[in-house]
Amino acid sequence: MDATFIQQFFNALQLGSLYALIALGYTMVYGVLLLINFAHGDIFMFGAFMGVLGSWVFGWGFVPTLILSMLATALLGVTVERVAYKPLRAASRLSAVITALAVGLLLENGMLALTGADPRKYPDDFFATQVYQIGSVSISTVKLLVIILAFALFVALFLFVRRTKWGMAMRAISYDKFAVPLMGVSQDRIISLTFAIGTGLGAAAGILWGVAYPASLDTYMGMLVGWKAFIAAVVGGIGDIRGAVIGGMILGFVEIFVPYWGQGIGVSSTWRDPVAFALLLIILVIRPTGIFGVARRQKV
Amino acid sequence: MLFRVNDLHVSYGNIRAVRGVSFEVDEGEIVTLIGANGAGKSTILNTIAGLLRPDAGEIVYNGVDLVPLDAHQVVQLGLALVPEGRRIFGNLTVYENLRLAGFQLGADELNKRIRRAFERFPRLEERRAQLGDTLSGGEQQMLAVARALVTGGKFMLLDEPSMGLAPILVQDIFEMLREINAQGTTVLLVEQNAHMALKIAARAYVLETGEIKLSGASTDLVRNPEVQKAYLGG
Ligand SMILES: Nc1ncnc2c1ncn2[C@@H]1O[C@H](COP(=O)(O)OP(=O)(O)O)[C@@H](O)[C@H]1O
Ligand SMILES: [Mg+2]
Repeated sequence: MDATFIQQFFNALQLGSLYALIALGYTMVYGVLLLINFAHGDIFMFGAFMGVLGSWVFGWGFVPTLILSMLATALLGVTVERVAYKPLRAASRLSAVITALAVGLLLENGMLALTGADPRKYPDDFFATQVYQIGSVSISTVKLLVIILAFALFVALFLFVRRTKWGMAMRAISYDKFAVPLMGVSQDRIISLTFAIGTGLGAAAGILWGVAYPASLDTYMGMLVGWKAFIAAVVGGIGDIRGAVIGGMILGFVEIFVPYWGQGIGVSSTWRDPVAFALLLIILVIRPTGIFGVARRQKV
Repeated sequence: MLFRVNDLHVSYGNIRAVRGVSFEVDEGEIVTLIGANGAGKSTILNTIAGLLRPDAGEIVYNGVDLVPLDAHQVVQLGLALVPEGRRIFGNLTVYENLRLAGFQLGADELNKRIRRAFERFPRLEERRAQLGDTLSGGEQQMLAVARALVTGGKFMLLDEPSMGLAPILVQDIFEMLREINAQGTTVLLVEQNAHMALKIAARAYVLETGEIKLSGASTDLVRNPEVQKAYLGG
């Protein structure tokens, strides 16, 4: 295998990991509330900007900044749910979707007003990059960081959802929320916890995005990335966390390899997004519920 | 008196489903509430469990007013509802269903109760790693009861446990309720299947369109011509 292929493979793994981290936030919230949190892309942006706060304003290094961002963003996520979504739980799906879009606009424009329109980047020494040379393949520590940290978070999340009683409660709510309180479980607490985890993962993606793609931090960064991650979640089967990871990876690989192979046959890289989305649409035509999705039972 | 409902009114929008219902359950009893489809039985049980808020009335368990409590708080007092249609979590294993049912318990108490539930239902233990969806109807009903034993255990409310089960399994379920009761669990049983319910309950209330029409010892109600006509196919 040639070296550029392997390098592209790592690029795809990196991008896919980031989409997957964001897609998890959509899918977890959908799992417990059947709500598509259209503000999630902007939550991701908020997480990245908490990184600006930690690194530039507080002068902190990567790890404390990451933790700060995840906690602050989780708090934001829980607050948004309490203030904006909870009052609408009994309302129509449409009101909730419109509210989510409005929350997103509020976050984007609020952040714009606070920080201005100039794109930001993290300090150069925020995460010291080294490049390893293995044979003719070179790989940066940033790429390794993104991939390893993302996979560590996936594994932690899977274990949490599989093994702990809170994880069981999340799965139970997504199956049939009627009976969950009868088990002695406060539904509100499980919903808050789900928002905290989903938005915390989005924040981690935001910080890693800023490290992986410097100078890409602006207050609208969450729009396109958020849409793509949402589509990844749908392709994987929204509501299913394995699906979010697989869907994110598929999208990452398509986005990297379409231009890579397209180049060879003379296709311009502007075809990246159309081809990526066409492929995702094809998957959805074949499996309308996504790769891992099951048709939802209608329960009263 | 362990449990008392007094002048309970519950409605869905402007549908008045329960209109001034009162009844009592003594410690250690099996009491049944029978009534036709739509009489308001599930509404009463769901309101007791804290899933619905009444318009008016009192619900008192062990001296505690349940009306202001949420469902997950009611459970803490030892009162558990086996809901209509069983409502087990089909995407969780048998063990996970029981584990979740003991959400509020410490590890020791949880394990003790799960062990006891498995002793009572060895079939469930054999299927402990199986998903709820893959169980037969009878096994699902066992799991629903086992779950309530883990959650509460002191006062069990059952909403039509015989629904959708073959007659032989219905016999089993009622036999098991009798055993659970003999071991100290008070039972409030809601049924359309008046035949079986009147056999195991000492006392019964007859519910019609949201109101109690008759009440008394089961042995008397079985002989009551009105009851025979309306509920016993006689
Ligand atoms: N979610 C609901 N919304 C509106 N009406 C309801 C609802 N649930 C029950 N009802 C009505 O309330 C009445 C009592 O229903 P229910 O308590 O389910 O009766 P039962 O359990 O005895 O069959 C019925 O007229 C039923 O149509
Ligand atoms: Mg009913």
